[in-house]
This record gives sequence, structure tokens and C-alpha cells, in this order.
Amino acid sequence: MMRRARELWIAVFLLPLAFLGLFYVYPLLSIFDVSLRPAGFLDLSAFVRLLSSDYYIGTLLFTVYQAALSTAVTLLLATPCAFVFARYQFRGKTLLLSLATLPFVLPTVVVALAFATLLGVNGLLNDLLTTMSSLEYQPIQLERSLAMIIIAHVFYNFAVALRIMTSYWSSLGFRVEEAARCLGADELSLWRDIRLPLIRPAMLSAGLLVFIFSFTSFGVILILGGIRFATLEVQIYYQAVNMFNLPLAAALSLVQILSMLFMMMLYTSTQKRLQLALDSSAAVAKRPRTLLERLCLSLCVALMAILLFSPLLALVLRSILVAGQLDFANFASLVEKSRGSLLFIAPIEAIFNSLRFALIAMFTALCLGLIASYMIERRGRLSRLLDPLFMLPLATSAVTLGFGFIIALDEPPLNLRASWLIIPISHALVALPFVIRSVLPSLRAIPPSLREAAQTLGAKPIDSLLTIELPLLGRGLAVGAIFAFTVSMGEFGASLFVAQRESVTIPVVIYRLLGDPGFASYRQSLAMSVLLMLVCAGGFVIIERLRIAGVGEF
Amino acid sequence: MLRIERVSHAYGSIDSLRDVTLDLEPGEILCLLGPSGCGKTTLLRIIAGLETEYDGAVLFDGEDIGPVAAHQRGFGLMFQDFALFPHLSTGENIAYGLKRLGLRRQEIGEKVQSLLKRVGLEQFEERDVASLSGGQKQRVALARSLAPNPRLLMLDEPLGSLDAQLRDQLALELRQIIKSAGLSAIYVTHDHREAYAVADRIAVMNIGSVRQHGSPRQVYRRPSCAFVARFLGLKNVYSTSDGRMTGLLSLAGGENWSTGSSILIHPAGIRLEGGCSNDAISAEVTLEAAIFRGESYDLTAATVSGLRLSFALGELPVSIGGKLKVYIMPGAIIPLDA
Repeated sequence: MMRRARELWIAVFLLPLAFLGLFYVYPLLSIFDVSLRPAGFLDLSAFVRLLSSDYYIGTLLFTVYQAALSTAVTLLLATPCAFVFARYQFRGKTLLLSLATLPFVLPTVVVALAFATLLGVNGLLNDLLTTMSSLEYQPIQLERSLAMIIIAHVFYNFAVALRIMTSYWSSLGFRVEEAARCLGADELSLWRDIRLPLIRPAMLSAGLLVFIFSFTSFGVILILGGIRFATLEVQIYYQAVNMFNLPLAAALSLVQILSMLFMMMLYTSTQKRLQLALDSSAAVAKRPRTLLERLCLSLCVALMAILLFSPLLALVLRSILVAGQLDFANFASLVEKSRGSLLFIAPIEAIFNSLRFALIAMFTALCLGLIASYMIERRGRLSRLLDPLFMLPLATSAVTLGFGFIIALDEPPLNLRASWLIIPISHALVALPFVIRSVLPSLRAIPPSLREAAQTLGAKPIDSLLTIELPLLGRGLAVGAIFAFTVSMGEFGASLFVAQRESVTIPVVIYRLLGDPGFASYRQSLAMSVLLMLVCAGGFVIIERLRIAGVGEF
Repeated sequence: MLRIERVSHAYGSIDSLRDVTLDLEPGEILCLLGPSGCGKTTLLRIIAGLETEYDGAVLFDGEDIGPVAAHQRGFGLMFQDFALFPHLSTGENIAYGLKRLGLRRQEIGEKVQSLLKRVGLEQFEERDVASLSGGQKQRVALARSLAPNPRLLMLDEPLGSLDAQLRDQLALELRQIIKSAGLSAIYVTHDHREAYAVADRIAVMNIGSVRQHGSPRQVYRRPSCAFVARFLGLKNVYSTSDGRMTGLLSLAGGENWSTGSSILIHPAGIRLEGGCSNDAISAEVTLEAAIFRGESYDLTAATVSGLRLSFALGELPVSIGGKLKVYIMPGAIIPLDA
């Protein structure tokens, strides 16, 4: 009997690995296969075309260029803010820092639309400027421009850079700086010789992360840029979906995968250096006293408020104000399926789709994530490999995943392409790393003696799991569940590939509606974006609440 | 009742237990005493069924319990860190094992009440375990492991995390509670004073094997080897080949001292008067150091041949540097194994 129980446990433990193998490794290998052997034998013509065409080289260069530019602007703005956050104590600091992370959980379609409503030709800012100055033309012409893309990327990544640098700076403390001051350093040389060299490891690490995020950015570029500003991600999508050129799309994916792998390796190595410094004495933040200090602080807070909240505010205002009046007609229009629309269903049905998929994805990711966390926590040689293995989906772009799905899972025995199941599966895959990172710290915090104490008191392993371990994991599981739910609700890149006519989700519908010329579609996309934003922001608030009480490895 | 037969265990390539054989009689408290890393906790975990990879056999009432899972053994184990369930109240912690037995609710409630009373925590049933003091946690852990009426109670350094003042008192209390429950118990500790207070019998362990076992008095009075003597805090352990010993040993006569590899001159057998025993050896010594311990002085004195003796006296007989005559009682010179 003990042996059968053992076999059962092994089978359970194999589940997450099987899931990863089937829905991650296999699609990825399929991409390799299609790119290298499109007709069943080794054929590198796709690569030759790729590398000999100025157009695709241009795509690659542009991808790097826009990512580098986004990174530079983000660091330029985030570094002084991080200094202020680490250095000064002020009211609302924790709240602001936590609110600044909100964009991180917002779906790309929502953010793209928010910037369009703020800075577009018919955006809120242009409306405001024209009414105020009675100009005949719209002064802000950012639509389909690189600037718009960069601004949106900064919006997304600002908090990431801010958090990394603030915590590093706080841990460094300011004693070295005081020493330099005593040795005669003025403000300028303090920045040049002390502060910037000291913060460099954190800047490097944050910069790499921002670069990776911008490099793989998809929704923002697709919506705000269009084909003129195609990056690798967007190009993969166009080639696969619009041109049906699968070998070329696969070749582009391969380039993407390899670049990601390289950048993630770099990032991991910078992170190791960061952790070394984190043990040193904590800094004491002080209150701003001089006028200059207060001015700097106000500037930072103002910058963050404008950058982070004005687009979201514009989106909300646009959705609830119709001709200057408060009106919820936009939301009411969600039940209508506009005639002649590219959509096959009314938007409201997409909301039900999204909710259904998110619940399934959440449940799947939670179960698999829990098992995977147990596997990782067992320690030993194997588990050290398992942790990075389960993190891989996080390091793979959504478009690559979606593309892999449609080329790998389209024939028996695994013909899921026509099934709606493929959507929650892809979402669960993306959410799995989030669940593991939320559950693992709680699991590691449970002393093994508790499990053993339960055993010696007569608890079967399953009893101890239900009565001791799961209750103690509660908070971590809750955070993981909400993460999984919001990730699934907002997932765009993979969904765009795998969603079928009737099984489209909210982000996909928003994107399709934006492509529709009609005013009705615009109104619907606004309403849906606001709803989606509220769901994700709600999830975010709960996560932050739970996390303040102390779990999470993010 | 419990018999450990030639049990060996290894962590990787490191032997943690080598060929350990021990017996436990019904109603007896056996103390496993030894420094950290000597294998005492591993042995406890093997008996509890938490460690399943080992050689040899663990027999309970003549039956090999190797295949029996930890939760089916009916043994209680009290953990060093107490391992109280942080999400359960004090009462729920104690009730945990009772629930596994499938007792009725009312029965559980009554039992929890009587246990709380026995450990002196009647008012604490609803309390969050995180809010308890170290001593209170220890009592809850004890009550919890006593609750399901274990066939055998094991305690792993139960007083290890408490401060020294509490320890002496709680060690005695523990013994009384275990005895009044009529339990057989195995008690693991690294503190010989605690072992003396609690145990009926002590097994002194080092590097994975039992070096000596016997009653606390036997072990203290007649340690079998240099390790045990030193571990019990006994000084005056000398090599038999130590030249400074020859004079003393020739006076002691009788035995063939070279059988052992070292010799203990038991501090308890060093006195100021020879008493009525004619066999006591007298020695002129110079007092080198004295540490005031409150109820006595710990003294170090050197013989003419340069041999250093440590012993305790109630009063300081001479000042430092002064000469005095001490008597080494017959039987105080003990040959030790390596």
C-alpha cells in the first residue's frame, strides 16, 4: 500500500513537468523545427532571407534602438526619483511607491489605449489645449510616433527601475557620502564620484530588465506604432498571421528566443552582484529640510503623478464623459454587437470568456504551481534545476508562446487549435512562474518540524497537508491566485494568436475594436479597457495588502 | 519494551550512527546525552519513524516497527523548537493529536482541559501560541505530545531554548509529569545536569555510538572513558604514560594501570582529610588558582611532580600560592578507555 501511495505521489509530481514539456518545450521545439527544417529537411533559406534583407535587419535594429531609448529615458527619470525615495522620508511614500507598481499589472492594450486617449490627435490633452487657446489645429501630433511608444514604455518600466534602485540605495546607506563630504566633496563631485558609481550595479540590473521588457513589448507597439514601427515581436505576428509565412516567423522567433536567453543570462549575473550588497547596514531616510530638498521632492512626486496617473485618468474620463456630461452609455453599449464589426460576438460575451478563462487558468496555475513549489522546495541537485526551469515561461515572450502553440498544437493527438481550452492553458503557462514565486517563500517559511510534529501526532501525509501546510500557505496561495487571475485577464500577445472567433478575450476584443473605424467600436473599447483596468487594479490592491503582511519574492 | 538493535545511519558519506544497541524498560526515562552532532537526535528520529533509511532494527514489544509509518506508531515527540502550529490556538494545538484519534468533540474538550491543568496553563486555551513565553510554549508542546497517550514519549532537547534559570526547575517538573503519567520516555540533551535531574538511565553518546550507559550516579562516579569523563565536566584526566603520574600510581598500587589509556582522578575523591580510610593517598600540593562559585570554590593545585589537580572545596583553606595537603580517596583513581 505504501508503494502505491508512493507511485501516486510521483505521478502528481510529474504533472507540472508534463505540463511544461507539452505546452512550453514542445511548442518551442516546433518553432526550432519550422525555422530550421520548414520542409522536413535542413533549409536555412528563411535565415538567409532574414539576414540579407535590409528590411528585417532594420526590424532587428529598430527593436534594439527603441528598447535602448526606452531604457535610457526610464533610467534618466527613475534614478533621481530613486535617490529621493531612498534619501527622504515623507508622508505617503510607501503608498506612492506601491501605487507606482500598478502599471506593471495593467494589460498592454489598456495602457496603449490610455495613452491614445491622453496624447492622441483627438486625445484629452489636444482637446484641452484647443479649447483653452482656440487653436485651429491640434498641437500634439504624437500618434503613430516613436515618442508615443517610448513614453508608454517609460510608464510601464518606471516603477521597476525605481524599486530596484531605491531598495539598493537604501541598503547602501549614506555613510560613504557623509565621509566624502567631510573630505571636501561638493554636490557635483558627490554625484560624479560617489553616488553614480555606487548605484551602478543597480542601474545596470534595472536597465537590463527595462531593456528586456521593451525588447519584447508587443501590445504597446502594435497599437501605438503600427507596422511602420514593427519590432521583432510585431514582425513575428505579421508574418505568421497576416502573411502566413511560418518559416520566416519561426526564424524571427528563434532570433527572439536566443536574444532573450542571452539577456536573461546577463540579468541573472547582475542580480547576483546586487544581492551581495543587500546585507549591509540600512539607511536612515530623513525628512527634507531645505527649500532645495523640498523642491526636488515635489518635482519627483509631480513627475510620477503625471507620468503614471494622467493616462489612466484620461482613459476613465473619456469613458464616462460623453460631450462633457457624466454618462455610462459607453458601458451600456457593451451588450450590443455592432453591425459590420470585425467581431463575431458582443463585447459582453468576451467579458464572460475572459472571466471563465481566468478562473480556469488560475485554478490550473495554482495546482501546478503548488506542486512545483513542493518539488523545488525538496532541495537537492534536481530542485536547483527545477526553479529556473519553471521560470522559463516568464523569460519567453508572449508572442513566441502563442506562435509556438499554433504551430505545435494543431495536429492530432494534440489538436487544441480549434478548442477554447488552448487559451486558459496558455494563460496558466504564463501565470505559473508568478504562482511559484508567491507560494515558494511561504512554503520555505514552514519549518519541517511542523510537518513532522503532525506526523508524530498521528496525521497522515494528506492530513498534514490539509490541516497544517495549506492553512499556513494561505496567504501565498491567495497572492498567487490573484496574480494568475490578473495575468490571465490582461494577457494579450499569446491570446491574439490562439483566440478563435467565439473565444476572444477582453484584450483581444479591445484590439479588434480599435481596428474598427466606427465610433461605436471606440466607445466599446474605452468601456472595456476601464473595466479591465479596474479588475487588474483591484487584484493589485489585494496583492499589495497581503504582501505588506510579508510574502512574495518579487 | 523498546529495543534498538545494531542501528547504523549515514548522511551521505558521513556516518551519523554506528552500530547502536540500546534497551528501554517500561516506565523508564532514558537520557541520550552527548555533544551536538553525536547522533542522538538522529536516533530519536529513527525511533519516531521520521528517518527511514537506516541499517539494523527498531523493535517495540518484540516487533520490528521499521515498516510502520511515523503517524501510525503512536509515539509522542516533543521538538526542540516546539514546532507549535502557528495558525492554531493553544487548545487546538493540544487537540490536534486527539482529533486524529477520532475522539468525540466533548471528549477532546475535556482532555484538553485536563492537560492544560496538568501543565499549569488553564487560562490559556484560546490564546494564540505566538503570544506565549518560551516556558509556556514548552508546556504546550509537552501537553500536545502527551495528549494522545503515546506508547512512548520522546523529547528532543525540550529545554534547549530556555534560559538556564528555568531549566533546572522545569527539568524536575518534566520528570514528575512523565512519571505521573506512567510513560516510558527517551530524553535527548547535551546538558549533563539536565540529564542527572531527569533520567533513570543515561546513555552517553559520541560520534555516532554509545560510549557508556548506566544510572546517572554510575556514569558520574565511574565514567568508562576519557570522552565521557570530560563531557561530564570532570577534569583531572591524564594519560597513563604521563611521567608526572608515576609516583602517584605507585602509591596507589594494586591495579595494573596500564590496562587503560588514561586515568581519571575523580574530583569528588579529593579531600582535605583522609578520614578513616587508610588507603587514601596523601599529596602535598601548591594552590594555583581558585574560582569562587558561591556555594564552593573550584580549585587548581599542583603536586610536587607538577601534576595539576582540580577539585572543589567549601572554603578556601590557604591563599593562592600556599601549600596544603590533600587526600585522594581509594576508588577515586579510575582507569579509562581511550
